[in-house]
Amino acid sequence: MPVGYSIYRETGSNIHRIDPRTKLAWLLTFFVLSLCSNNPAVLAVVFLAELALARIARLKFRDLQAYLFLSLWLTILSTVIWPAYIHQGAYLGRVWFVDVTSDGLLYGVAMGLRITIMIVAAAEWMLTTSPQWLTAGLLKLGLPYRAGLALSTAIRFVPFLNAERLTITEAQRARCAAVGSGGPVRRVVNSAPVLVPLFSRAFLTAQSLSIALDARGLSSGGQRSSLINLRLSKADKAALAAAVLIVAAAIAFRVLGYGVLVKGEF
Amino acid sequence: MAPAVASFTENVISVRDLTFSYPGTAVPILRKVNLEVRRGEFIALLGSNGAGKTTLAKHFNGLHCPTSGQVLLHGRPTTELGLRELAKIVGYCYQNPDHQIFSSSVENEVKFGPRNLGLTGEALASRVSEALAVVGMTEFAASNPFVLGRGRRQLLAVASILAMDPELLVVDEPTTGLDLSGAQQIMRVLGRWHEEGRTMVVITHDMDLVVEYTTRCVVMADGQIIDDGPTQEVLRHNDTMRAAGLEEPAVVTISDRLSRFGSARCKSIADVVADVGAHMEAEHAGRL
Repeated sequence: MPVGYSIYRETGSNIHRIDPRTKLAWLLTFFVLSLCSNNPAVLAVVFLAELALARIARLKFRDLQAYLFLSLWLTILSTVIWPAYIHQGAYLGRVWFVDVTSDGLLYGVAMGLRITIMIVAAAEWMLTTSPQWLTAGLLKLGLPYRAGLALSTAIRFVPFLNAERLTITEAQRARCAAVGSGGPVRRVVNSAPVLVPLFSRAFLTAQSLSIALDARGLSSGGQRSSLINLRLSKADKAALAAAVLIVAAAIAFRVLGYGVLVKGEF
Repeated sequence: MAPAVASFTENVISVRDLTFSYPGTAVPILRKVNLEVRRGEFIALLGSNGAGKTTLAKHFNGLHCPTSGQVLLHGRPTTELGLRELAKIVGYCYQNPDHQIFSSSVENEVKFGPRNLGLTGEALASRVSEALAVVGMTEFAASNPFVLGRGRRQLLAVASILAMDPELLVVDEPTTGLDLSGAQQIMRVLGRWHEEGRTMVVITHDMDLVVEYTTRCVVMADGQIIDDGPTQEVLRHNDTMRAAGLEEPAVVTISDRLSRFGSARCKSIADVVADVGAHMEAEHAGRL
């Protein structure tokens, strides 16, 4: 099955052209926004803003589909679990041994939205920033070259390993393996025929890559040049200033108690 | 060797107007493919990279489902058959053995498939020992497969599929990464298995092995079948060979040159060497 060798989607949008450092700042901004409120209404607005950004970046639904489905599951899980711990608000009824309240339910939704915002922000960041630009941005921020290279290589490895996983799963299915079926314990046992070859392939590929990098003189020293020369534009500077203001405002609102549904809970 | 194509009658696989696109892609990988695979054939699926050979073969055991059209196993659509039923009829051996080997011993690796088919006890043990004997790896039964060489791992992958006793075996580029003796060894194993009356489909770029072992060639290009027929005929169709990015095997070229001197068509390098030797001896005797 053909699987792309990067999560990155080139659409040529303005979002794609933003400096990777600015995008990293905005990724952190979304993280701070999601952490500064536990009110589902506020978090829903932040989530809608993320979807608007995805639209501006000309990302398609299928690009985000996997992340949205994962988020949906986590939101459902969160909504089921949190009412067992949050008991303030209007009493709605008893489910099994849990007294469900309105705030308990809403807090569960909020925690799900919080995770969703983080997942979607990270996904949009990865989808709109090529590994080369990402590395260039981190190097400009002071990351050592070897660490930057390791990071961008690791990012590139994710889709590669996913492609390997699909091939291995197919190979084991051809031997009638019940991969991905049965209960949780059964699933773990059944995943061995996929995980063992997958790890084996990952180690072999990493070893081959390290030899190839050595062969091309990675450790030879000297000042490295880069094909990508990053320079913050006026728009980048404005976006960074906006991010700083939004983060400051979000923290201030949190301290003052605005946008908080359940006081005393993070 | 196996008989010619015309004598095979019972269809194991029927492919009808098969079109296939990967989800989320608009360009079809396979376009209106029609193919019959008859019992006892030894078919080579040929074509350049990206021609659609592997994608087509993955339809034979239900690893892919048609976007449109049908793939029938003994008249039943693959989409209606369960994993176990499909695996009993069609065995699929992947190009890279490292995509399937996971057990701590060769014996356990070979056991995996037949055990999934429900075999236990004596039946399972005999199936495993038979498969290891076929590939000549009985003495390695207790070995760790990860320390074996590439050639032996490839044979192990084949054994692990043979142990499931499928009616038809699909082998994807079995000789990739092997030296000549390793390639010959694996093709001999497949040839012997075919001579027992089984059906074989092999995807390969090794044209010399194609001419030596297979009875029929199916040539693909751009997701379509552009030639199909007995090996000795198809390999001489220069236009389709060129269109598929293939070259006439050296054996065929030399054999055709020798046929001008009255020789029969050769099927292998050994035949060619013997024929050339005979000609040289005859010439030498004439001089004397």
